[in-house]
Amino acid sequence: MFMFNLLWLIPLFPFTAFVLIVLGANPNKKLSHSLAIGGIGLSWILGWLTFFTAVFTPHFGEHPVRLTFDWFPTGNTWFETGVMIDPLTAIMLFMVPFVCLMIFIYSVGYMGYGTEHVDPRYSRFFAYISLFATGMLGLILADNLLLLFIFWEIMGLCSYLLIGFWFEKKYPDPRQITPKQAGLKAFITTRIGDVIMLLGMLFLYSRVGNLTFEHIFSHETLHMLAEAQVTLPLVGTLPVATVIAILIFGGAVGKSAQFPLHVWLPDAMEGPTPVSALIHAATMVSAGVYLVARMFPLFAAVEHGPQVGVVAFIGAFTALFASTIAVAQNDIKKVLAYSTISQLGYMIAALGIGAYVAGAFHLITHSFFKALLFLGSGSVIIGCHHEQDMMHMGGLRQKMPITFWTFVAGAFALSGFPLITAGFWSKDEILAHAWEGFMHEGVVSWPFYVWLLLTIAAFLTAFYTGRQISLTFLGQPRSHHAEHAHETPHSMTVPLMLLAFFALTLGFAGIPEEIIGHGRNWFHHFVGHEFAATPLSVPVMLLSAVLAVSGLFFGWLVYGRKPLAKGQPDPLVKALGPVHTVLKNKYYFDELYQATVVRGAIGLAELFFKFDNRWVIDPLVNAVGRGGAALASGLYRFFDLPVIDGAVNLAGKVGVALSVALFHFVDMPIIDSAVNLVGRTGAALSAAWDWIDLHIVDGLVNFSGWFTERVGRAFRLIQTGRVQNYALVVVAALILLVAVYLLR
Amino acid sequence: MVIPLAWYLIVAAALFCIGLYGALARRNAIGILMGIELMLNAVNINLVAFWRYVRPQMLTGQLFAIFVMTVAAAEVAVGLALVIAIYRSRDTVNVEEIDLLRG
Amino acid sequence: MGFPLLTVILFFPLLGAIVVWLIPKEKEQLIRWFSIVLSFIPLALSIYLWIAYTRSAGGMQFEEIYNWIPVLKIRYHVGVDGISVPLVFLTSLLSTLSHFYSAYTIKKQVKEYYLFFLLLQMGMYGVFMSLDFVLFYVFWEIGLVPMYFLIGIWGGARREYAAIKFFLYTLIGSVAMLLAILYVYFNVGSFDILEATEKFHLIRPFAANIVPVSLAFWAFFVGFAIKVPSFPFHTWLPDAHTEAPTAGSVILAGILLKLGAYGMVRIALPIFSEAFSYYAWVVGILAVISIVYGAFVCMAQWDLKRLIAYSSVSHMGYVMLGIAAAAFALRMPGKETSAAIALNGAVLQMFNHGIITGGLFFLVGIIYEQAHTRELKAFGGLASKLPTYYGIFAVTGFASLGLPGLAGFWAEFMVFRGAFDIIPIYAVIGAVGIVVTAGYILWKIIQYMFLGTFNEERWGGKLVDMATFEKVTMWPLVLFMFAIGVYPAFIVNLLNDATTALLAKL
Repeated sequence: MFMFNLLWLIPLFPFTAFVLIVLGANPNKKLSHSLAIGGIGLSWILGWLTFFTAVFTPHFGEHPVRLTFDWFPTGNTWFETGVMIDPLTAIMLFMVPFVCLMIFIYSVGYMGYGTEHVDPRYSRFFAYISLFATGMLGLILADNLLLLFIFWEIMGLCSYLLIGFWFEKKYPDPRQITPKQAGLKAFITTRIGDVIMLLGMLFLYSRVGNLTFEHIFSHETLHMLAEAQVTLPLVGTLPVATVIAILIFGGAVGKSAQFPLHVWLPDAMEGPTPVSALIHAATMVSAGVYLVARMFPLFAAVEHGPQVGVVAFIGAFTALFASTIAVAQNDIKKVLAYSTISQLGYMIAALGIGAYVAGAFHLITHSFFKALLFLGSGSVIIGCHHEQDMMHMGGLRQKMPITFWTFVAGAFALSGFPLITAGFWSKDEILAHAWEGFMHEGVVSWPFYVWLLLTIAAFLTAFYTGRQISLTFLGQPRSHHAEHAHETPHSMTVPLMLLAFFALTLGFAGIPEEIIGHGRNWFHHFVGHEFAATPLSVPVMLLSAVLAVSGLFFGWLVYGRKPLAKGQPDPLVKALGPVHTVLKNKYYFDELYQATVVRGAIGLAELFFKFDNRWVIDPLVNAVGRGGAALASGLYRFFDLPVIDGAVNLAGKVGVALSVALFHFVDMPIIDSAVNLVGRTGAALSAAWDWIDLHIVDGLVNFSGWFTERVGRAFRLIQTGRVQNYALVVVAALILLVAVYLLR
Repeated sequence: MVIPLAWYLIVAAALFCIGLYGALARRNAIGILMGIELMLNAVNINLVAFWRYVRPQMLTGQLFAIFVMTVAAAEVAVGLALVIAIYRSRDTVNVEEIDLLRG
Repeated sequence: MGFPLLTVILFFPLLGAIVVWLIPKEKEQLIRWFSIVLSFIPLALSIYLWIAYTRSAGGMQFEEIYNWIPVLKIRYHVGVDGISVPLVFLTSLLSTLSHFYSAYTIKKQVKEYYLFFLLLQMGMYGVFMSLDFVLFYVFWEIGLVPMYFLIGIWGGARREYAAIKFFLYTLIGSVAMLLAILYVYFNVGSFDILEATEKFHLIRPFAANIVPVSLAFWAFFVGFAIKVPSFPFHTWLPDAHTEAPTAGSVILAGILLKLGAYGMVRIALPIFSEAFSYYAWVVGILAVISIVYGAFVCMAQWDLKRLIAYSSVSHMGYVMLGIAAAAFALRMPGKETSAAIALNGAVLQMFNHGIITGGLFFLVGIIYEQAHTRELKAFGGLASKLPTYYGIFAVTGFASLGLPGLAGFWAEFMVFRGAFDIIPIYAVIGAVGIVVTAGYILWKIIQYMFLGTFNEERWGGKLVDMATFEKVTMWPLVLFMFAIGVYPAFIVNLLNDATTALLAKL
């Protein structure tokens, strides 16, 4: 048990490495990477020691360990913070530091250490990834939601810095996203999710008065949250637990790139490949899934509440949606990016239908094989001299054998090749759970749709994986770069082999009990002892095995049997026609967001600024300032320019903006008539407006101008310019007043 | 013998009228300034007299008289500075000729 | 009564100003170094004040009371509690750093510059320490005049317009406030702030005197809101900032804006608690508009300094939101904890904003000294050429956008935590500001200035990384951003005791 007292050291090692590199070690490249690898290495050793201690502690699941201290005062109480370990944290501790260590070692080769291609910001890279590892390790160890959120955001910062790592890069095509834009996009998109999550957190905090998991998940608190009702405008009355769960899920949607906040992840491929592996496989994106798993009791607090449907549907839909896009991508990393989105959808869907253990299991196995695939693709990219287009590869099997075989291991795991890969066991458990729910609740139920969507996605996954292997490694080289490809250094291939080992074998930790005997499903026993095990379903298992094999086979059939020649188009283009174009353009989501959200925000900013600077506030201020000097012209300006014109302009601009927005939103033939109606009404209104403007407003304005001018002309005569005359008038008036007073 | 309050008020009123006449009738700017000073001092006499006769235990009257003197001093400083500035630019202190404010 | 610590801190800058006045104009170097060395004494005393303030005892400490104008019951009454101690320290810190930074950058009329600066420093101390309305008002105005000259003489191209605008705005606020002070005086019979806090609501209960008390409340509020500045009284700020010299902007954003917020916490909230609570919805709406509107306006800026000026409007909106939430809670039983958290957040945000935005203005000054432009589009790729500058700017920027682990996050979190429990809709709308803030900091500043390719043709050889004196200026601020970010308790401890005591009395 002594091991558990050192828990807080685990994130501290990489953090120390980060501080040391930033403060002094950065001129020395070797020292920098040694520090970074040393830091994560120590975390790995300590992490695994902790993990095995936890495994061999009897009844560990019932007695999580917490270490806390007081952080800051809140009124009459203190906010406590600290670290905690329970089975979920323990298995994450098995996965995260190990995968991170592999990626760190791999980075030494990838960033070109010891060659002439070494990156000029080599040390900075290691500092960033060390900080990133700190964030992830801290996140899994946090014992309260606030601390989790802090590390969550630190990871967001690191992903921003790492995706935009090559920030000078420019492309000849201005429409292609550059690393700096991709980083910004990632940060802002995830931040939208984060703010929603923050709101959920605030809601939870203000209801419970505490954010520690132990406290939130106590029976009384969950019961209280499930019983209490809250009325939301437009939505209706819902249990508090449901609202909080959905809001917190918003954070997971952003971080795990679920629909509709998925757009940042594919573009995040602009970062260096180890970063892609680190962010998109092992750690950051799975943090979203981890969050949902961590908050699982809250999600399960209200049975059959809307939160279940939201989570399950978003997950399942994302799984299918992303896998269809992956089919049409040619960039080796983009395929993996969409595949990641899709696999994360699996996990979210699993958690949504209550398959806690299956979701966590897939989270762990996926991290290993997806990290392997990303690192493998990085190895291919380096081997092919920074060529990323699969259409320009081919025939790399002979030239890069280690990369090939490890990549195949990862790819088979991803597609769920039966029995010998980890992905098969974990994915099958999710499908089996959905199937069981469907059998239980009938066709019109969430589990049915989840099962259906996930099954189709499983086939597509196998298909694009087969396509990827065939295009990259089989056939003949289709470009100059591919012809001169070479195997990568040991610092890159050794991590690949280690990861491949786990990608194949890790599944054996969670084989269903029906196959290996009661009580021997180790993973379920350790992580989810309080949940009922998913019963084995032979038809589902057979179906998913058939789908995986047939998907891979089809992929090979289309792309591998008759390898593409140089410059030959993708056979799918012809087969699918316009559908392929839509898929290739990712259903035009980027364009849609650009036209609505981005344009909208910038337009609003401009509008507000003009309101501030040109139309209303500043002119008002200036008018007041000058008002004393010339009353007549001041009045004229005051009424005419800033207020009326400003208001008219504002109304006009708002009208224009509104109609532009309307045009964009309902630009579809079905509702054209509605648009026309709106247009006609608008025209009629503006005609009426025009009449009022011409006859009433202008008349008033002209009258006020004319009136002031007349009065001014009359008063001009009195103004002699001699102060004494004025004083005389004052005295005379005073005497008059006194006289009136006295004679009253 | 106690001098009645009214005597002080009469003196003050006389002084005020002289000052008012000076301020309104003089052409010379400095003369006007002197007239204004006279009026202020008339007020001071009133203040101090009222204090002495009505509420000798409170300091208010004296205090305000001192305030008035301070303000008067500041006003003279500013006024003279203005007159000098005007004299420099226009070579005259005759207020008839200074009519920049005419509408 | 022991050593008059507060009086010494308060009048040390005045002493300095007198000495500077006596030094001949030509000895510029002597003036500079004298001011810097001298400003360390109040700084050291402020640190001592922080340590010596007995938290367990709470309340006003180090009080000094002398009769000033007994006839009108005007007294020299100073004292500090947990809210003012950090602000006094902030004043000392930013003043010292500004003196130091200006020593290298101000080249014309050095003597007058330091003279005004020292007077300004005294005015700011005075506001944070005064417990008498007249004293408060006098120091409030003393702060106004030197700032007018700092902008008007050492400012940029449109400095006169900016200075007059600044002066007019704040003068209108002051006049309103003066009338309200007189109203309180005629009812309570004294100018003492603490006495008014205790007695005013008994003498003039809000329910029975809605019109006059409301008028007085609004007069105070407008006076403070102009200084904060809150929408729609904010347009003096971008002009004043854009034209002011660097150190002037730092002081303006770092401390002068806090005077308004401090006035709300010290005067408007305790004395007019019922009226404030009654009108809290207006304050809340203004706060939310300031947050969201300010953030959006930032996105439309192309001048770096103007952008940061507008960001102050947005960030001070958080302060107002926290205060509004606390005021709301006065009428809701059972929300005491949330109210205390919201008010803690508001005061912490005052301190943080001083550190962070002060730092940002220094950073703007640093690049402007070299490039003579603040146009965002003119730069690009500075991250590779000026790594230290980039690093410090990034840290400060991320602190400003509320990244956890840095100072800004805690204040935002506490404000929203308090507000969400009390006025959830305001908090939800205000949260939009968080996203937009990230947008303008990362998109406008970081991306346009630091990322992309470096313009060799225009800037090749002309821009160099931070000099030692610039680093020395920035390090203490960066240190505070991290310190508060990691362990906020060292300052929240102080605030929490003061705010809970303050709210308990209402």
